[in-house]
Amino acid sequence: MKTGFFGFVGVLLAAVFVVVSGAAFVVTPTNQALVLQFGQVRRAIVEPGLYFKIPFVQNVEYLDKRILDIDLEPQELIASDKKRLVVDAFARYKIVDPVQFYQGVRTVQGGNQRLNTFVSSAVRAVLADAGFFTVVRDDRAGLMEKIKAQVESEAKGIGVDIVDVKIRRADLPQKNSEAVFQRMQTERQREATELRAKGSEESQRIKAKADAEKEILLAEASRDAERVRGSGDADRIKVFAEAFGKDPDFFAFYRSMQAYESSMKAGDTRLLISPQSSDFFRYLTDPTGGKAATAGK
Amino acid sequence: MPWSNQNGGGGWKGGGGGPWGQPPRGPSGGGNQPPDLEELLRRSQEKLKDWLPGGGGSGGGAIGFGGKGLALAAAGALALWLLTGFYRVEPDELGVELVLGRVTSQTTPGLNYNIPYPLGQVFTPKVLAVREISVGQRDFDSARGVPGRDIPDESLMLTGDENMIDVSFKVQWNIKDATAFLFNIQNPEATVKAVAESAMREIVGKNSIEMILTENQRRIETDVRTLMQKTLDDYKSGVEIRLVNMHKVNPPAQVIDAFRDVQAARIDAERLSNEAQSYANKIVPEARGQASAITAQAMAYRSRIVEEARGQADRFSKVLEEYKHAPDVTRERLYLETMERVFGGMDKVIVDQGKGEGAIQPYLPLDQLGRKPLGKGATP
Repeated sequence: MKTGFFGFVGVLLAAVFVVVSGAAFVVTPTNQALVLQFGQVRRAIVEPGLYFKIPFVQNVEYLDKRILDIDLEPQELIASDKKRLVVDAFARYKIVDPVQFYQGVRTVQGGNQRLNTFVSSAVRAVLADAGFFTVVRDDRAGLMEKIKAQVESEAKGIGVDIVDVKIRRADLPQKNSEAVFQRMQTERQREATELRAKGSEESQRIKAKADAEKEILLAEASRDAERVRGSGDADRIKVFAEAFGKDPDFFAFYRSMQAYESSMKAGDTRLLISPQSSDFFRYLTDPTGGKAATAGK
Repeated sequence: MPWSNQNGGGGWKGGGGGPWGQPPRGPSGGGNQPPDLEELLRRSQEKLKDWLPGGGGSGGGAIGFGGKGLALAAAGALALWLLTGFYRVEPDELGVELVLGRVTSQTTPGLNYNIPYPLGQVFTPKVLAVREISVGQRDFDSARGVPGRDIPDESLMLTGDENMIDVSFKVQWNIKDATAFLFNIQNPEATVKAVAESAMREIVGKNSIEMILTENQRRIETDVRTLMQKTLDDYKSGVEIRLVNMHKVNPPAQVIDAFRDVQAARIDAERLSNEAQSYANKIVPEARGQASAITAQAMAYRSRIVEEARGQADRFSKVLEEYKHAPDVTRERLYLETMERVFGGMDKVIVDQGKGEGAIQPYLPLDQLGRKPLGKGATP
C-alpha cells in the first residue's frame, strides 16, 4: 500500500534523523569537547571535526580552547620597602587538560574564579618581597615571570596552562600620588629658580667681563697715550735744548721778552713803576740815559 | 529539509545570527557555544512531524500529495539549502571556510561557495582593515554624541624616577594571521588593549620623566611596539601591531604649571644672557672706539707739541743768526720793542722816587689803586 510505504519511509527517515542528530556533534577550532556518560567523562576531544556519541546516553560538554582572559581588580599592597602600590594585573590562560579542568572547576567561569584567587595571591606574595623600584622600574618583567611561575604551579591541578601574567598598572595610591605631585612641583620650582639664578649669573658674568674689558681697553689706551705724550714732550725738550743751547744768554733774553709780552696783558696788569728802577725809562728823566750817573759812579 | 529554511538566512555566515558566529566579539566563553546539532535536529524533527501528513494517524485527502509531492518538496528544500552556501567576501576581508568544524580553505574577495550551515561555516574577518585603540583617552564619538575625554586611570603612570606622567596613546593593529586571530584567542580587542597598557607602563617605568618628556618619545613608541608584538606573538593571537603613537605626553595636570614655569625660567635665563651679551656687544666696541680716540689725541698732542717746538726753535735760530751780526743793537732794539708793547697796553702808575728814596710809598692807597676808575685816583 502506497500510503503505508511512504508513511513507513517517513517514519524511518525520522528515526534515522533522530538517531543521527543525537549522535553527531561538531567540535569547532575554538572548542574542545568532553563526552560524558551519566556525568562521567568518557572521552576528551581536542581536534575540531565531526564526532559521534551514543544518543541519549552520552552528552557533550564544550570547553573553550582559546586563550582566555582573567582581569583582576586593582589591589593595594605594600612593597618590601613599605611603599604602597595599587597593582592591576591580568592573566591569560588556556585549558590544556579538559578532563582535569572539568573535574576541577567544571566551567570557564569556575576556572576564572579559581585562577583569579591564584593570581591575586601570587601577585601579593611576589610583590610584597620586591621593592618599589623593582616593581616600577628595574625588573617588572622578571617579577611577572615569577608571578606566572607561581600561578602555574598552583594551577596545574585544574589542567590549565598560564600563558602570561602581566602587571597592567602599578601605581601609587591616591594619597601617595598627591605627595608625588607635591614633590614634583617643588622639584620643578627648584629647577626654575636655579635656571633663573643661572641666567642672572651668566648675565652678570658677561656684563662684568665686558666692563672689565672696557676698563682694560681704556687703561691701555691711556697708557699708550701717556707714552706718546711723553715722547712728544721729550722731543720738544730736545728740540728746544738743541736750538737754545747755541746761545743760552741770548735765549734767556729773547725768551724773557716773549714771556713778558705774553704774560703781561693789557687790562689785567697794573704796574707801579719807578722810572729809576728800569732801564726802559732811563731816558725818561735823563736825556743821557743815565750815562752820566753811570759814568759818575 | 526544513531545517535549512529555519536557519538558512544567517546561520552560515560568520557575521549572522548563528549560535557561534562572530566568535571574536563574544564577551566570554559562554557566548561561544558550538552549534548544538542535537537541539537543532530535535526542533527540525518536531517541525517535520507537524508537516508529515497525519502526524498522529492518516489524513484521507492528503494521500496522493504525500507521495511525489513530499519528495518534490524535499528536493526543493534541499536545493534551496544548497543555494544558501553562496557568500561574498568584501575586498578588505578574507574568507575562512570550515566544514564540520575543520578549516578547509581560505578564500579571496568575491563570490564564493561553501557547504551551508550546519555542515559548513564561513568567517570573514577584515584582515586588511587597520583597527585602532586609544589608551588614556576616549575619542569623540560622533555617532553617539559622546565627547572625547581623558581617562586619568589609564593615562597617569609612574616613571622610573618616581614621578607621574600623563600619557595617552593610540595603537593601530591589524590581523596578520586570520586563523590564529579567529581561533586562538578569546577576546582579541581587549587583549590588545591590556597588552598595550601593560607594555607602555613597563617601558615608561624604565625611563625618567625628563627622558620621556624631552627626547625619547620615538624610542619609547618603538619599544612599546616591539614589546606588544612579542607578547601578542606569544599568545599566537595573529595580531600585528603597526604603530604606537603617543599623542599626549604631559606632566600631570596638577603640576603642569610648575613644568611650564621651568620652561619659562629657561627662556628667562636665555633672555638675561642675551641681554647681557648685547650689553657687552655694545660696551666693548664703544670702549675700543674711546681707546683709539685717546690714542689719537695723544698722537695729535705729540705732533702738535713737537712741531710747535720745532717752529719755535727754528724761529729762535733764525733770530739768533741775525742777532749775532749785531748783538748789542739788536738786543737793545728787541728789548725796547717788547717793552713798548708790554707797557703800551697796560695801566701803569709811574712813581718818581726822586732822590729821597721810599718817601711816598707808605702813603699810597695801594688797595684802592686797582679799584678806582682808571685815571682818577692815579694822578692826583
